Amino acid sequence: MKTKLFLTAITAFAAGALYAADVPPVGGAAPDFSAPDANGKTQSLSQYRGKYVVLEWFNPECPFVKKHYGSDNMQKLQSEYTGKGVVWLTIDSNAPGSEGNITAEQAKKIMESWKTKQTALLLDPDSKVAKLYGAKNTPNMVIINPEGKIVYEGAIDSKASPNPADIPTSTNYVKAALDESLGGKAVSNAQTKPYGCHITYKSS
Amino acid sequence: MSSWRQLSIALCAIVFVHSGLGQTYQGRELVKATLLADSSAIVPGKPFTAGLLLRMAPGWHTYWKFSGDAGLPTEIKWKLPAGWKVGEIQWPIPLKTNDPGDIQTYGYQDEVLLMQEITPPAKIDISPVKLSAEANWLVCEKICIPGGANLELELPTSTTANPKNSDLFARYRRLLPQKFPDSKSAIATWSRFNSELRLKIVNDNLANYPTADFYPLPQGDIVVGHPGVESRKGNEITFRIPIESPDKNLSAMPGLVIFSKFPNGNDRAAWQLGTPAIAAAQATQPARGILNFLFFGFIGGFILNLMPCVLPVISLKIFGFIQQAGQSRQKIFRSGLAFTAGIFAWFLALALLLIALKAGGRDVTWGGFQFTNAYFVLGLSVVVLVFALNLFGVFEISLPQSMTRGLLASSDRKDNLGSFFQGVFATVLATPCTAPFLGTALGFAFTQSPIVILSMFVAIAAGMSAPYFLLSAQPAWLRFLPQPGPWMVHVKQFMGFLLLATLLFLLYVLGAQRGLDGAIWASCFLLIVAIACWMKGAFIVPTASATKRTISVVILLALVIASGAYFIGDKFQSSKIDIAASSASGDWQPFTPERLQTERDQGHAVFVDFTAAWCLTCKFNEKTVLENGAVREAFQRHGVVKLKADWTNGDPAITKLLQQFGRPGVPLYVLYPGKSEEPIVFPELLTKSILLDKLETISTAVASQ
Repeated sequence: MKTKLFLTAITAFAAGALYAADVPPVGGAAPDFSAPDANGKTQSLSQYRGKYVVLEWFNPECPFVKKHYGSDNMQKLQSEYTGKGVVWLTIDSNAPGSEGNITAEQAKKIMESWKTKQTALLLDPDSKVAKLYGAKNTPNMVIINPEGKIVYEGAIDSKASPNPADIPTSTNYVKAALDESLGGKAVSNAQTKPYGCHITYKSS
Repeated sequence: MSSWRQLSIALCAIVFVHSGLGQTYQGRELVKATLLADSSAIVPGKPFTAGLLLRMAPGWHTYWKFSGDAGLPTEIKWKLPAGWKVGEIQWPIPLKTNDPGDIQTYGYQDEVLLMQEITPPAKIDISPVKLSAEANWLVCEKICIPGGANLELELPTSTTANPKNSDLFARYRRLLPQKFPDSKSAIATWSRFNSELRLKIVNDNLANYPTADFYPLPQGDIVVGHPGVESRKGNEITFRIPIESPDKNLSAMPGLVIFSKFPNGNDRAAWQLGTPAIAAAQATQPARGILNFLFFGFIGGFILNLMPCVLPVISLKIFGFIQQAGQSRQKIFRSGLAFTAGIFAWFLALALLLIALKAGGRDVTWGGFQFTNAYFVLGLSVVVLVFALNLFGVFEISLPQSMTRGLLASSDRKDNLGSFFQGVFATVLATPCTAPFLGTALGFAFTQSPIVILSMFVAIAAGMSAPYFLLSAQPAWLRFLPQPGPWMVHVKQFMGFLLLATLLFLLYVLGAQRGLDGAIWASCFLLIVAIACWMKGAFIVPTASATKRTISVVILLALVIASGAYFIGDKFQSSKIDIAASSASGDWQPFTPERLQTERDQGHAVFVDFTAAWCLTCKFNEKTVLENGAVREAFQRHGVVKLKADWTNGDPAITKLLQQFGRPGVPLYVLYPGKSEEPIVFPELLTKSILLDKLETISTAVASQ
């Protein structure tokens, strides 16, 4: 039993060490990636150079994600800012076999029935994109400016709870950061601790 | 998958479904919640402990006060009648879980009891009393499900009470962190290292626990990375706590220092470093730490006198004392003071330079910023040669008359100035010798504020000069030194050869930095310098005519400047050497950070020798330990990859790694036992037995995998 525990710890540590590769800090350059979306079209970050891009990590089974979609909070944000020219990429990085992993078909159904308003929903079953950004939670939010620099990283809002009733009394960090950015101001709260479910990475 | 639509409609409903005391998910009970007390009855005015017992389904876990990279801490909201008070949740020491994707969380599996102290009012009118609380938690396996329950605790009111649920409460009380011990048995020191906090714990029992960890409790908006063990040696351990949010002034963080035999072992114990403990750590313990380090600085400075690189100069000073033995007490004392002042002046100058460079954000390292610079070594060679020729009697050092007249009123001032520069010179030669104590003290100083750096250097200077100061203050002791006489000329000349030996060493360093060509060009220049010294002794003497002296001075200066421009400005400057090729000697491979990573990724044990051509301690260790037959054989038998990190020219990649280990310079010996284990750092004075012992432990670790 002890040996097993020891081995588990070792493997976990090794995995950790491997994944702990340089994660870009806020203010750093956003690493480029490409991944297929629900329609099978390849989306890459570089094609949106010159625009603000929001990355939103997603898991349809996660109560914290459901909090923001069930209350229509996320959809409102998506439609408001895509309407202002912001590119919104939702990414599902959960590995196959784990809850929250979705196929292109399932993704399309979710987008339709949840009436989501993002630019595209990307499928990242190898957790490649998540790894690049060190994303660990759903939802986990990243905002990239037109120059390709990360200007915000962290939680969607200030109240770490799965309860939709908390939304009206929370500060929405993503909204605040986008408003400041689009208004030509520096983001005042550029990094927060994301909350939510953990992303189930592909164990390689 | 038609359930997506239903799911979306039922989103919020699922979130807060709970039936009675249990939380079910897909027909399975995930969490069973119960409210318990450690007392059979409520005695008015007498505090008791209530506990929320959560029993999780196998594989599912709830979270600690700080949940880590994901998850949420369990919440308990008591609805107590007026006059009742409830204390903070007492969180048992959690388990640390690592998931793929570098996700680290802190929580509880199977079962946890979250205790709180409840203080009833002094007067209670009813019995039984019903106390209710709302508990909310997040329970996760591969997916996370929030749960909650409204719970009740019903207890009779009485004048006496018996303990209840004793075993359960006792079990979880044992798992509570303890207060940080008083400063006699354990010391916690915080420091800030760029974007990392460093926490050093010193405690005598530390060696009994193979596993030690730090679980952070960040406050407010602070985003904390994954703490790890920076270094561990005997009764000392240093944790690094990366701070990812830009809180530049954060200097400490509450958290738990965890000890156990195995990671997440049932024997785990913890010390709480809370906000008050931190306040204490900031107020008193660094002071104690600083005193300790100042003491080490003093001892280290004293030991510098015995280092091979300083010995020739020290012998000069001893010689000076012999010469002074017959002189007046005052005179000797003044000369001793001047020598001491020379030592202090150099160290203070160094300290100020370091503070200035540090303020300018430069990477500063001990020895490195002097001896990794070839021109510094070259300049030193010139000084040593001139000194040696002076001892041989080739020429006399005479200060310009104006200087003597203007600055020095009495006849012995000239000697004092000489003593002052001897002090400076001895110290310049001493700096690359990172004596064992000094290394620790400096490593500490480099992470500190300017005032601490300054006091550290003063401590070192005081240690180094203490023996001379005492000898000159108590010249009675000089009686034990021999009487002056003609033999002194011979001793003086012999000391000249000691300095030439030092020169050989410096040329060897130059050779390592700039290759054979570089060393030869430097030697050519040194030859001209020697000729210039001879000219000074032979022609520029008071007996020669003014014209003759002027011509000599012109020729001398022309020679030195022209040869300097040609040999140094042109030839020496362009001679370079491929360090990587030079360090790959025998079965040693040149070090690069990528190479280290690759070897470790492949599961190889790696030993890194951080060395430099000018580091005598390094050379000594290499010859006596690393190249020793038994050690070579052990390295081979355990399949250890040997990497040599040559810092002769101050490679910035190596500097960075040295800093990560909190070292201001070489030598440093590190063994990376395997992919996942913490590196082992060896003492600067390496011994065969320590190295062989550690090599044996990695073979067992590898075998048990």
